[in-house]
Amino acid sequence: MALVQQIQLQREAGARDRARRLTGSPALRVAGRRLLSAIPVLIGVTFLTFSVMSLLPNDSAQAILGLNASPSAVAALNHTLGLDQPFWQRYWHWLVNVLHGNFGTTLEGGSVNHELAIHVPTTLELLLYALVVSVALSVVVAALAARRPNGIADRIILTVSMLGLSTAPYAFAFLLIIVFSVKLTWFPVLSGAVAGPGSFFKNLTLPAAAIGFGLFAIYTRLLRADMVDQMQREDYIVTAKAKGVPPWRVLLRHALRNSLFTLITVVGLNLGGLVGAAAIIETIFQVQGIGNDLITGISNHDVPLIEGITLVFALVTVFGNLLADLAYAVLDPRIRYGSSNS
Amino acid sequence: MLATPAPPPLPSLVDARRLRSQRIGRALRLWVPAGILIGLLGICFVLPLVVTLPSSTNGNIIYNNEAPFSPGHLLGTNVQGVDIFSQLVYGGQLTFEISLSVTLIGVVIGGTLGVAAAYFGGWADAVISRVLDILLAFPALVLALVIAEGLGPSELHLIWALAVFAIPAQGRVARGATLTVRGLSYMTAARLSGTRPWRIITRHVLPNILPGIVTFSLLGIGIVVIIEGAIDFLGYGIQLPQASWGSMITQGQNIESVQPEYVLIPSIALVITVVALNMLGDALRERWGVQ
Repeated sequence: MALVQQIQLQREAGARDRARRLTGSPALRVAGRRLLSAIPVLIGVTFLTFSVMSLLPNDSAQAILGLNASPSAVAALNHTLGLDQPFWQRYWHWLVNVLHGNFGTTLEGGSVNHELAIHVPTTLELLLYALVVSVALSVVVAALAARRPNGIADRIILTVSMLGLSTAPYAFAFLLIIVFSVKLTWFPVLSGAVAGPGSFFKNLTLPAAAIGFGLFAIYTRLLRADMVDQMQREDYIVTAKAKGVPPWRVLLRHALRNSLFTLITVVGLNLGGLVGAAAIIETIFQVQGIGNDLITGISNHDVPLIEGITLVFALVTVFGNLLADLAYAVLDPRIRYGSSNS
Repeated sequence: MLATPAPPPLPSLVDARRLRSQRIGRALRLWVPAGILIGLLGICFVLPLVVTLPSSTNGNIIYNNEAPFSPGHLLGTNVQGVDIFSQLVYGGQLTFEISLSVTLIGVVIGGTLGVAAAYFGGWADAVISRVLDILLAFPALVLALVIAEGLGPSELHLIWALAVFAIPAQGRVARGATLTVRGLSYMTAARLSGTRPWRIITRHVLPNILPGIVTFSLLGIGIVVIIEGAIDFLGYGIQLPQASWGSMITQGQNIESVQPEYVLIPSIALVITVVALNMLGDALRERWGVQ
């Protein structure tokens, strides 16, 4: 009996210890604080969306019933849809529903959840494709450029990345279409539905390239600048060189490794802008993602659909920032959160 | 924000020629993009006052689809016979007007908020930072499109819609810069000698964060130019028969396989403008030692 009790006590002590270790971990504390501060931001975004949507003419019922519907029928449908309620009541109703995982119904009568379930994966695939390729390319290219600053490779890379930084994605998309779809006919002008890896590359390569070129430019410039800076002023680089470590190894193992932290942060912070770019590119190539859906939703005054998609966009932005912070806290032991200068 | 400039190389190790070429290179990096921008502004705002350009909104259908460098039409005409060069000039006016006013609004409102948040700290900082976070997380494109759809497309609506996205970005930059400056010893000295907050902000904070804000604004103008084009491009910005660079690209889209220059000409104008802005920003950043 006493033994059982002792084991029980030990177990409890162990659990307490583990709990303390967990809550004591700086990364976890940062995560907790960040998650908490994300909540008011998300609520603010939904409120802002709702306020902005009230700028749109409140004509959903009319749009559903058609122009010839009698005013009484319109009023009745307005009542069923809850559109005659005051602003606060509608907002509260919507917020409670969203917290229960119900985003409402689109004008066409389908559920927004269903709409999102179909279209979000396509957008995610597109963005991931663009992101992975541009990050991978920029690491290689930036290392090439930083190996000899102001050399020929460096100058070419800087020029190309400056172009990438300054090219509007929609203009670049047309250039891609003219060259690869119209002249070379390698890829279709309009992307079809994605099914299987073959059609994935066939349909999403051009849109991903249109999104990825700008990203590639940003990441490359950033990595290159950071690596060149380290190679010139950090002591561990001098030490490594003095030890006789070959130049390539110094660049990749010492400089690049540290620069990757900066890259991770920027990738996280950029996610928000990325979904915006996706909206335009998806419209051009007719990719069936949420960006395309959003533009259609806006021209149809489909308020529930726009709200759902805006919330998804905001979620991506907020969690991108969160992940960037977390990655930084976990990877870089120098970061001590709690000091108030950031 | 104000990093110490790299230590100058020892005089005995560098020759005068190399120093001179470095100096010329630095001057070129500043004045070439500045010259391009002044040239573009001149073409867009001064040229139509000096020379009579063909109408940018009406054209004679008889003279449609003319190739570039045809007589009377420097860059040719589009399907409706409208002169493309005139469209480019008047579209450029709109682009510059919109992007400059958006950035100005962003700097004034966002800058004030950012400086106030960082200088006063505490609750002011918490509230302002959260508001800026919300605006940053809100997709700017959605806002601009909904405003255009709900209030009707106009230049003024477009400016305010885009400003909502410029304000938090500028606010963040101003806040970060002020935080850095606030910890420096001349600020403590100013506070210890009893200088009033208003005077500290105007005399000590603003002059020191201005370089960072100016260089960021130049990059910001470039971003606004691109986003403004995107909104026109989606059909929610400047409406026909007025032309903007973005709407010219859209119109060209319908006939791109026939004559790619309809898309290429406004795109090239857009790229040149943004490259010049970015390069000018980089050059100023280098000169002022802003990070």
